[in-house]
Amino acid sequence: MKPSADQIFHALDETILRSAAWLVPADQRTEWHREWHAELWHVRRSCSTTGSFSWPAQREITAFCLGSFPDAFCVLRQSWLDGSRPAHMPGVPRPSLDGSAAQYLLCLFAVLAVCVILARLLPGVHAEADSSRYQVSPGLILIQDARSGDNLTPSISVDLFRRWKGTHQRYLDQFAFYRTARENASLSSTLVARWRVTHASLNLFSLLGLQIQFTSAASEDDRNVPSVILSHETWTRDFGADPHIVGGLIRFGNRTGKIGGVLPYGSWRLPGQPDAWILEPDAQLASDTPEGALGYLLAHLTPQGESEMLGDRVPITSHDADANDLDLCGVSFANRLQGPWGLYRFALLLALLALPAVTSVTLGESNYSAHRPSRKITFIRWTFLGAKFALIASIANFASLDLSYWRASTYSPLAEFFQLVWCFSICLFGFRWALSDQRQRCPVCLRRVSHPAQVGLASRTFLGWNGTEMMCMGGHTLLHVPSLPTSWFSGQRWLYLDTSWEFLFADSGLL
Amino acid sequence: MAADAKLSHTAAMILQAISAGVGYGFSIMEMTGLPSGTVYPAMRRLERDKLIRSQWEKQSIADAEQRPPRKYYNLTALGKSTLEASRKRYPLLERLISTEEASSR
Repeated sequence: MKPSADQIFHALDETILRSAAWLVPADQRTEWHREWHAELWHVRRSCSTTGSFSWPAQREITAFCLGSFPDAFCVLRQSWLDGSRPAHMPGVPRPSLDGSAAQYLLCLFAVLAVCVILARLLPGVHAEADSSRYQVSPGLILIQDARSGDNLTPSISVDLFRRWKGTHQRYLDQFAFYRTARENASLSSTLVARWRVTHASLNLFSLLGLQIQFTSAASEDDRNVPSVILSHETWTRDFGADPHIVGGLIRFGNRTGKIGGVLPYGSWRLPGQPDAWILEPDAQLASDTPEGALGYLLAHLTPQGESEMLGDRVPITSHDADANDLDLCGVSFANRLQGPWGLYRFALLLALLALPAVTSVTLGESNYSAHRPSRKITFIRWTFLGAKFALIASIANFASLDLSYWRASTYSPLAEFFQLVWCFSICLFGFRWALSDQRQRCPVCLRRVSHPAQVGLASRTFLGWNGTEMMCMGGHTLLHVPSLPTSWFSGQRWLYLDTSWEFLFADSGLL
Repeated sequence: MAADAKLSHTAAMILQAISAGVGYGFSIMEMTGLPSGTVYPAMRRLERDKLIRSQWEKQSIADAEQRPPRKYYNLTALGKSTLEASRKRYPLLERLISTEEASSR
């Protein structure tokens, strides 16, 4: 038998009422459902006067049933807070969690959701997050001239690399060299692209521990053809992300290279943003390097060398072929491959340390009345503050990544710097806001206090109190904020209202 | 709660409706025009504050009419005195919900 529309809606209405009843505390559930159910009978009779199904009538009936949800939420909220009402304050209006507190949390949560969605969409953020997958040996250093302030400028000659590699070193045991130059790459007979090409020693990627995608097995004929590794960006931009291009040939000037694979997206963290790497034997690398051209030298520290590290740096003194002293510096770049989390943790710690410098970290806990909120209310209050801090910290993480990698599609030191700045700023000012907001909220119901009233003037009173008084519209508290902090009234204080104030707030107590 | 305690307008309307003889949740909604999500919680609070009391209808009466038993509400002595005080605060209350109008329903 096919159910009629009336039967279907009967079942639907009953389901709504039962669902709402589940929100009501167990001890009141039966009572509430019974009353809704009883009234529903009368609502149906009142709305469907003809006895047959009609859409307008059903709409009214459903509206009545849906009204059970606000009932249930109200009962639930009341039930939560009933237990928290202090026994010694029998007449004080019952506290109710202010909607604005929940709205604040919802707004923060919405902002976090937007930041997370953006982070999922931005390729730079993906690359940065994925970088934590790549492991780098802690003893790996980038050697540069100590006089160059940063490690972005090439400062090592290929001769030094060959000389060090050819002799036994006490502190260093593995070396790799690379230099980057702009070159024309002939992708086909007609297509020529201007690429940033890195000429590197054969062991560059093995020393770095980077895995190459789509590698092809080298044949005997390939011995004299250098292997070309493409960056992920070049592979997608110039080859349409076609995995079958591996094994194809590319001409660089008068030399030919064979595509040997693709470097995973975002895994290159060293100076320079090459489009392709040509892996060459050391002799070839030296002969191809123009006179005076400089590059980057990577080296692996022996255990003895690691013991010489001062933080993330190790000073190196050497001399060139003419016995002139070389003042060099080895910089560990393991921290570059930690992904965004290391930087985030650092920014978070900095913000927490700097917080007392920009705002008072107390919440004005002192009060001058005998009444104190129950432990449950105190717990809710601290949970609210904790939730704000947690949401702000999460927003800072994702928003700083979004803002820093909005334009950058992969790792760059500048983006990393911006991430640190953004993360620190958002955390610092976000936490500051969270604390100042908390100080303005009634400890009982978390409403923001309002109706400020100026009491006295500091310039006209001698020992009399002067400051601003604000009131909780739920009738729970008064907040006293002194104009000038004194030894006897240094910070804001809460006054918990007793029954004598009840008549002023009767409305909030009832509806 | 003191008899002269101030009621919100909504609470006063519900009290007035019950005083006028409208004793059921849905009837109060019809009379006052308030939605169900407002009326029932308000009535619970009024009951909590001893301004109204509720009672379930006898099962035999409901069975005779082939419907579920209904919960009905009436004013307590405290509710009556509070309503009196509220009428002074909201003079239009009696005009909004008069006893005659309620009894005609």
